[in-house]
Amino acid sequence: MDYRTVLTTCTHCGCGCNFYLEVLDGKVIGTIPCKTSPTNEGKLCIKGWNVHEFIQSEKRLTQPLLRKDGELKEVSWDEALDFTAKRLREIKDTHGADSIGFLTSARVTNEENYLLQKFCRAAIGTNNVDHCARL
Amino acid sequence: MTNSIAELENADCILVIGSNTTSSHPLIAMRIFRAKQKGARLIVADPRRIQLALMADLHVRHNLGTDVALINAMMHVIIKEGWHNQAFIDERTEGFEDLKKILDAYTPEKAAEITGVAADDIIRMAEYYAKAKAGSIVYCMGITQHTTGVDNVRTLANLSMITGHIGRESTGVNPLRGQNNVQGACDMGGLPNVYPAYQAVTDPDNKKKFESAWNAALSDKVGLTVSEMMSGLSHGPLKALYILGENPMVSDPDTAHVEKALKSAELLVVQDIFLTETARLAHVVLPGATFAEKDGTFSNTERRVMRVRKAIDPVGNAKADWEIIKEISNRFGYPMEYGTPEEIMKEISSVTPSYGGITYQRLDGEGLLWPCPTTDHPGTKFLHKDKFVRGKGLFYAVEFKPPAEVVDEEFPFWFTTGRVFAHYHTGTMTRNCPTLDSEIHEGFLEVNPGDAEGLGLRHGDAVNISSRRGLMTAKTMVTDRVTKGVVFMPFHFAESSANVLTNTVLDPVCKIPELKVCAVRLEKVA
Amino acid sequence: MSDKVKDKVKELLSSGKIKGFLGLCSRDGNIAPHLFVTEDELDNLVVGDKSAPGDSRYPLNRQLINLVRAYPDDTFGILVRGCDERGLAALASWNQINPNKIEMVGIACPQELAIACECLKPYPESFVDGEKCEGVTAETVARIDSLKVKERFDLWLNEFSKCIKCYGCRNICPMCFCNECSLENDELIRKGEIPPEIPTFHLTRAVHMAGRCIDCGLCSEACPADIPLRTLYKKVADIIYKQYNFRAGYDAGQKSPLNFLGGLPE
Ligand code: SF4
Ligand code: SF4
Ligand code: SF4
Repeated sequence: MDYRTVLTTCTHCGCGCNFYLEVLDGKVIGTIPCKTSPTNEGKLCIKGWNVHEFIQSEKRLTQPLLRKDGELKEVSWDEALDFTAKRLREIKDTHGADSIGFLTSARVTNEENYLLQKFCRAAIGTNNVDHCARL
Repeated sequence: MTNSIAELENADCILVIGSNTTSSHPLIAMRIFRAKQKGARLIVADPRRIQLALMADLHVRHNLGTDVALINAMMHVIIKEGWHNQAFIDERTEGFEDLKKILDAYTPEKAAEITGVAADDIIRMAEYYAKAKAGSIVYCMGITQHTTGVDNVRTLANLSMITGHIGRESTGVNPLRGQNNVQGACDMGGLPNVYPAYQAVTDPDNKKKFESAWNAALSDKVGLTVSEMMSGLSHGPLKALYILGENPMVSDPDTAHVEKALKSAELLVVQDIFLTETARLAHVVLPGATFAEKDGTFSNTERRVMRVRKAIDPVGNAKADWEIIKEISNRFGYPMEYGTPEEIMKEISSVTPSYGGITYQRLDGEGLLWPCPTTDHPGTKFLHKDKFVRGKGLFYAVEFKPPAEVVDEEFPFWFTTGRVFAHYHTGTMTRNCPTLDSEIHEGFLEVNPGDAEGLGLRHGDAVNISSRRGLMTAKTMVTDRVTKGVVFMPFHFAESSANVLTNTVLDPVCKIPELKVCAVRLEKVA
Repeated sequence: MSDKVKDKVKELLSSGKIKGFLGLCSRDGNIAPHLFVTEDELDNLVVGDKSAPGDSRYPLNRQLINLVRAYPDDTFGILVRGCDERGLAALASWNQINPNKIEMVGIACPQELAIACECLKPYPESFVDGEKCEGVTAETVARIDSLKVKERFDLWLNEFSKCIKCYGCRNICPMCFCNECSLENDELIRKGEIPPEIPTFHLTRAVHMAGRCIDCGLCSEACPADIPLRTLYKKVADIIYKQYNFRAGYDAGQKSPLNFLGGLPE
């Protein structure tokens, strides 16, 4: 038996509520608002209360997909990552760094946003990085 | 936000404009409820009768896209009545005379014609806000998603500065950021013109600093914005697009245009947790991890940096997004050697002055509000305390401009978009939460009872909605939440996507599309 | 006051009597609900007083239900205050838990907390720490009762108009265990709108809590609109008491007069 409560921050809006995800034997079974949080003081909205429901949804992507003969097919990580890196390199070499663009995300962590813009600027060599969050 | 969320409770006047707070930022609405309970005056300026309007001291329903006229008229009244804060204006600001000049013309009577708000109500708004001890302005996408988005924001800043309601506890101009970590995405340099912490890419010193930190040659040319990338794909110069966790097929205006752009990419990489409408078009789809499957931090709308903690391993063969980026970078030939997100944060704090004092250890407990430059700095509850970032606060004399598209005979209804309480953004996550999906599982169009009658529409009827860009069908919801001549639709639902209709015209400065106003025609489906 | 609790839990864990102890611990700079399975974790055990007594209580009973459903053969320990003990008694009477498989470690609440909660019995039958203090009757109910009908009506109307339909009052409630919740019945309460229909949503819940609510106050504390839900349910509980001489959870073994649906299968 493995039962844990893990303190984290909500991903469903910019309020940044804190709650405990209730995890039983590897399954996230519930959300419990954090009483000592400065933002939500033990309360949540409907989106926060149900945030655990999408995490292990059956519709999650669980394997990389690569388009082959017009269709997305499951492939190994190695194949997907090699393909991506190789194509980025080819396009950079033929059309220049500014022919590549990146959209980073308001849904991933700060660390991940930092890393993607660093990859864009330092590895590719362009400032073509933006996010959709004006919308 | 210039001020922290909890401070709102102690404001004695709150002006909520273009924010349906109880739906989109419910836990901030909690603070507004509390302020109200303590006796604050609540002014709601929103074309729709949103929930907060039910408890407002004053609800004005100005015409779509007329925010500048409304706020300018408030300032006109404030100056005329001498309710402005001359000492603050003298000490802390510049450009007041220019502003004053243009405000002359914005009499409440003239503004009433433009906005549809009674002159008396404008005077009351001005009085409530100006006479408050601590007045706070709260706004959201209803202000920014216009061709005049920047004008709107500047006008609100003007209002706060002429009354001195800024730089103090429980005051300020407080944008509620639309998405969960948009604050963080911007702080981390997810913008074409700045490195992390808003350090301009065009500044040679910044370039030098980052070149040495990152050990790479960098470009000093400002990059493309989302909208520019989309047209760059359609018209050639942009060949490849790498999209992390976004769904522009649903979130961006004019879906047909976006689809054409994405389909013309030589390489489209999409990294996401679900096979979104956008991922379906990709050449390669990389399965990332949810917030529950990795460590990291988010920065909320009040600038509070908070921990995200891993609760379970990524599902199936999915991977944490930072690991995916790292692996691609390594294969691309730019080595990255982070073992944990904490190591990435160490690097962030070394190059990002406002995050300089942030460590995972210090984030335990309540997190930290940036700017937090050093490890002994307590963080910053509200901004602009003694001076503005640029020194003196600058007034911009902003004139009212009508929306890019206005109603006419062919397209006689104003169309606007927004959120509903049970969903978030494009619904990628919330629509996969069965409880939320069952609360609201399809898009709908809010139509005023008078208009519905004229069109022969009843509650639940299918209605065709067309604009200059597209056509779609939705269910009618007859409600007086909207006024006559205005219709509203939530944008979370891919199958009835409001953005098939919306306008791509951009704000000239910040390049936000005018998602909040366009003109449509309605027809009952036979 | 956590030392005596720690000693007791240590004894229960080391004797192998319980598989784990559901309580509270100090972790990540916050107070967390936590399942203690080893003795060395006990250093961080707390009873949930951050700035004021009992300000960081958690729905441990609900968590316990999740555990016993997955591990019906195991025995678990749990931290209980007066209200939690009432909750467990009531849950047992509704056949939601097996009391023989639960080891309660009780604490008595200080007077300050009892006053804040207006709690009639701020202590469990047996407790290892704290001191018995006076029960407190509900002044808030009396105050609202003294209002004219119109004023009372307006007060609740204003309160209900703030509801953002988070369902938190139900989600956190240890006594809400129905498989299908009337609050989500579209025919009763239209879905998709906030505030939810006034007063149907709130009165539906109030009626459903009659004879069930054990007065723990977690719903009020979870309400983002600060609606005084506990006061509303206290009033309902008073009515049931007058009619049937029954208060949920105060007398272990006594079934609710409204338990007409029969118990759910064990
Ligand atoms: S619980 Fe609700 S209000 Fe809080 S962050 Fe999540 S979505 Fe936002
Ligand atoms: S006080 Fe509220 S949470 Fe506690 S049992 Fe009663 S209704 Fe449920
Ligand atoms: S907790 Fe409060 S806001 Fe949420 S549903 Fe219950 S009464 Fe409404």
